[in-house]
Amino acid sequence: MTGSIKSMINVIIDERAHGNPTLLLTTRTKLILKGFNPDRYNETTPDDPLAMEKLSAIAREMGVNLCHY
Amino acid sequence: MNLQIAFSSHSHPARAVAEIQPKLHAAKPRLVLFFASPQYDPARLSREMKSAFPDAVVFGCSTAGEIISGRMLKHSLVAMALDASIIEDASIEVLQNLKQNACGAVERAFANFGAHFKTSMKDLDFNRHVGLVLVDGLSGVEEQLMDRIGDLTELQFVGGSAGDDLAFKATHVFAEGQAYTNAAVLCVIKPGVAFEVLKTQSCKILEKSLVATQVNPARRQVLEFDHKPAVEAYAEAVGSQPSQINTQFMRHPLGLIANGEPFVRSPQRTDGSSMVFYCEVLENTPLSLLQSGDIVQDTRQDLEQKQTTFGPIGGIINFHCILRTLALQQSGQLDAYAKLFQDIPTIGFSTYGEQCLGHVNQTSVMLLFGRPHDQKPG
Repeated sequence: MTGSIKSMINVIIDERAHGNPTLLLTTRTKLILKGFNPDRYNETTPDDPLAMEKLSAIAREMGVNLCHY
Repeated sequence: MNLQIAFSSHSHPARAVAEIQPKLHAAKPRLVLFFASPQYDPARLSREMKSAFPDAVVFGCSTAGEIISGRMLKHSLVAMALDASIIEDASIEVLQNLKQNACGAVERAFANFGAHFKTSMKDLDFNRHVGLVLVDGLSGVEEQLMDRIGDLTELQFVGGSAGDDLAFKATHVFAEGQAYTNAAVLCVIKPGVAFEVLKTQSCKILEKSLVATQVNPARRQVLEFDHKPAVEAYAEAVGSQPSQINTQFMRHPLGLIANGEPFVRSPQRTDGSSMVFYCEVLENTPLSLLQSGDIVQDTRQDLEQKQTTFGPIGGIINFHCILRTLALQQSGQLDAYAKLFQDIPTIGFSTYGEQCLGHVNQTSVMLLFGRPHDQKPG
């Protein structure tokens, strides 16, 4: 399976930014500072369970529900 | 006047406060922010400041040098008083036992802010509110603190880590007449004027990059870059002998690049074949090699550019890395830097780290206020 990390990142950004361009940038920056640069992941990135677990924890801390991942 | 600044170089806290008090009282301050040399007894100074401004929210921290419009000071007290036209509302929280539970302390503080503003921090309008954060500069937990703040709010929190003139023995934050270590002070402000954050680091991003492949986050230590001993890999990147790399630290910090902008991670020292940084380096995250530039020229340019988009600046709070102060001192540019701010009411201090979304080094983070009647917030 591939692409789940990119999808999870997109959900976090969408949920936090609500389409606001300022919040989109700050959410991206927050994720980069936490070690997940959105630009390093795409639809072909393998689903690394460890990375997905870390990202799920980050989403929870940021108040974003990723329950379907 | 809506915003006033003053300084004193009296070594006695009561006399220093007595000197600045009349200069600041004309503003009928709602908020008084102060930065003070570690020469002052912390508890006494904080008590004197609150006694002098009993009706204002009063907070600050110790420094590694003080900044006021047109002057870079040592062994002094600098303060800014802001009245109700600049500060519509402000609330302050002290976070104690920071090293033991920074995240829990942030959550408790945010619950109190939510009660004060009658809106949760998650929903508080980031266009109308801004946060200030002052941290014990020896706590080593700024990353956790800023991370949790960023999780729980969209407000920008900017600030600095308290200093102690490079003694690295004890740094203090002050709030409402008390002095604290192992603590942080958060202040949420609803300005009555426009505001913006300026982050400037005078660093060019070079093509070379390093990936930390083995780290010890608790010590802010990198054991390996690119699967090589950190000292060896850094030396190769900067073209230096491993034994000489400490001469390159100021010139070549590393940067985590976010949206084209470096978040600077400055090397502090070597420890055997590893390197210790002034802030945490994450494992498996690429860091670009940076080259520091002309701080005065870059800061002037950034300020001018900001004034073009933001309009006239009514006041600045400048959180200025001690490494930049040392670099300016070495190049004989301290006065030139101070003069950049001589026509704008400014206070600031030389920090042990700066806060802007995360914890950074070798950076100036400035909170800019507009002038009443020129601009409106949001």
